[in-house]
Amino acid sequence: MESAVIFVAKITITSSMAVLYATIGEIFTERSGVLNLGVEGMMLVGALTAFAATDCFQSLWVGVLFAMLISGIFALIHGFFAITFRVNQVVSGLALTLFGIGLSDFLGRPFIGKVSLKFEPFGLFPLDKIPVVGQILFTHSALVYPAYLLVPLAYVFLYKTRYGLQLRAVGENPSAADTVGIPVFPMRYLYTFIGGALAGLGGAYLSLAYTPGWKEQMTGGQGWIAIALVIFSMWDPLKALGGALLFGFINAFQFYCQAAGLTLIPSYVLRMLPYLFTIVVLIVITRWEAAKKRVGAPAALGIPFEREQ
Amino acid sequence: MRKKFIFLMLMVLGIGLLISAPALAKTKVAFALLWTIDDMGWTTAHYRGIEYLKEQLGDQIEVSYTEKVLAANAEQVLRGYAKAGYNIIFATTFEHMDPTMIVSRDFPNVVFEHCSGYKKNDKNMGNYFMRMYQAEYLAGYMAGLMGYKNVGTVATQPIPEPIRGINAFTIGLKKGLSEAGIDHDPQKVNTIVWLKSWRDATNETLLAETLAGRGHDLIRQMADTPESAAAACRKGVPSIGYGIDVGTQAQCALISTEWNWGVYYVDAVKRSMAGAWQPAEVWWGFEKQGVKLGPFHASVTDEVRQKVLAEKAKLEMGVDNIFAGPINNQLGKEVIVAGQKASDQDLLTMRWLVEGVAGKIPD
Repeated sequence: MESAVIFVAKITITSSMAVLYATIGEIFTERSGVLNLGVEGMMLVGALTAFAATDCFQSLWVGVLFAMLISGIFALIHGFFAITFRVNQVVSGLALTLFGIGLSDFLGRPFIGKVSLKFEPFGLFPLDKIPVVGQILFTHSALVYPAYLLVPLAYVFLYKTRYGLQLRAVGENPSAADTVGIPVFPMRYLYTFIGGALAGLGGAYLSLAYTPGWKEQMTGGQGWIAIALVIFSMWDPLKALGGALLFGFINAFQFYCQAAGLTLIPSYVLRMLPYLFTIVVLIVITRWEAAKKRVGAPAALGIPFEREQ
Repeated sequence: MRKKFIFLMLMVLGIGLLISAPALAKTKVAFALLWTIDDMGWTTAHYRGIEYLKEQLGDQIEVSYTEKVLAANAEQVLRGYAKAGYNIIFATTFEHMDPTMIVSRDFPNVVFEHCSGYKKNDKNMGNYFMRMYQAEYLAGYMAGLMGYKNVGTVATQPIPEPIRGINAFTIGLKKGLSEAGIDHDPQKVNTIVWLKSWRDATNETLLAETLAGRGHDLIRQMADTPESAAAACRKGVPSIGYGIDVGTQAQCALISTEWNWGVYYVDAVKRSMAGAWQPAEVWWGFEKQGVKLGPFHASVTDEVRQKVLAEKAKLEMGVDNIFAGPINNQLGKEVIVAGQKASDQDLLTMRWLVEGVAGKIPD
């Protein structure tokens, strides 16, 4: 029993990391008032860049760095249209996803089926010696551990620092932020870049650690799950961690039950739950203005900022 | 009058030459492919068939193919090839079936071949498939001889083709275990978990890891990417590949069960060139080399290899007794009674699992 729990818990963590990175990134972007639906495309670009750069430079960390950089720049394409040109952000974001899929399919051809370096799991001494908890949390590949730091740091940054306050101000009321001297446009660009970079990190996790190698459209819709998770988590990094783990757990658990021969009738229902909850949150925040504030949706999300003369 | 007659004759000759000119040209062959030629699964297997076809008939034919032909654009792609004067068109995945039916009606002089479906017409559309279950039986037999008695299978879609494969694998596995005299649980030698997809890299990995983590001693890949086999290797558990040889991606693969479409492509194109093509329902096994086994892993002993090859030789002779009774279902009921054999129709509509499989077909 104990080993089964540890096992499912471990698999839950390894299978939800890519989504978690992308979700945290998208939270930053959306908190600044920019809605970027291009997460799936950015993750794919990141996954391909990570694999290609690793293969080229024979260094995993160089691969990760390139993935974050290139995906960040890729996100700036959306930033350029959404922030400077003030186009419809939904359309621009969807275009970014389609572009990312096509581009990675096209450029990735020579890399399909290639075998290169990969992140191996290892025990993080001495933490992995802690019974149960250590086994669950500290026996992963090197790309998992940064997430343990990223989530609390993102939370503290967002709610406890001046920069976090500025970020939230830009997303809530850009005009007011502008009046007090916060540079709205550069801020939005910066956080769009960060969102892209973290989505790229998620992609790199897939192509270097979780399912090593490049496969066309290997993210398999995880970018969309990340976008749903941002709403699910109500734009809060800590809840995003919970949400990502819940998504991962439900998937891991239903496969585990199948493998163990346990019959769980509601496996379909289980898989629907997080999406149902996401829809509920969406309904709540669109129906009631007051609830929107409570939930934490940035008031200026998706609304291009135009400086008043 | 005479001049007019000669002129007329020359005209007729000229038109005749014009009409017959394409016949003198190379035969044009087209393929509609499901995914990319390097997808390491279904489409790569077909592409290897195309390469083989070019190798064999290269100077007499002209070959084209289109990748990523999905249900939505299949009709357009097939129609495009037919209009462009292609003589024989292969539609290589199940979803192309209805579009092929529709287009074949409009181009009665073009030959259409559809892979993995069940529809044909009396004029210009046939279908073809390969008896992968024969290779699965041999792979299972090999695993049994090697003493793997707790296999975990990453199954794809719960429809007859994979079900038949799981059953054949399990029948082979039990035969191998019995011959090797290995004590095993006759109710549970092969545990299946459904991916409910033909390819899904992340969940294939997740499933293979789950099965390896639950102590299964061999992972059987059935999906169209080598991910589950590769994930098994990373967990230190051997695997068996599917579709193409997965040895490069999964070094621990003991063997792979492979499609061998090329032999059929050469055969069909040759018949079409000779004007001898007839619509048919083709289902080839080892007797026609429609499927094959990949190379054995170094760890497979000579003794095991000899036994597997002997079974394979029988199939190559056309003797296929894999689904010969008595065969029980999971409840212990004799579904195929002693002395009888499942017909092709039974096999094509198979919706039950043999004794020894743990797991069930989802509703």
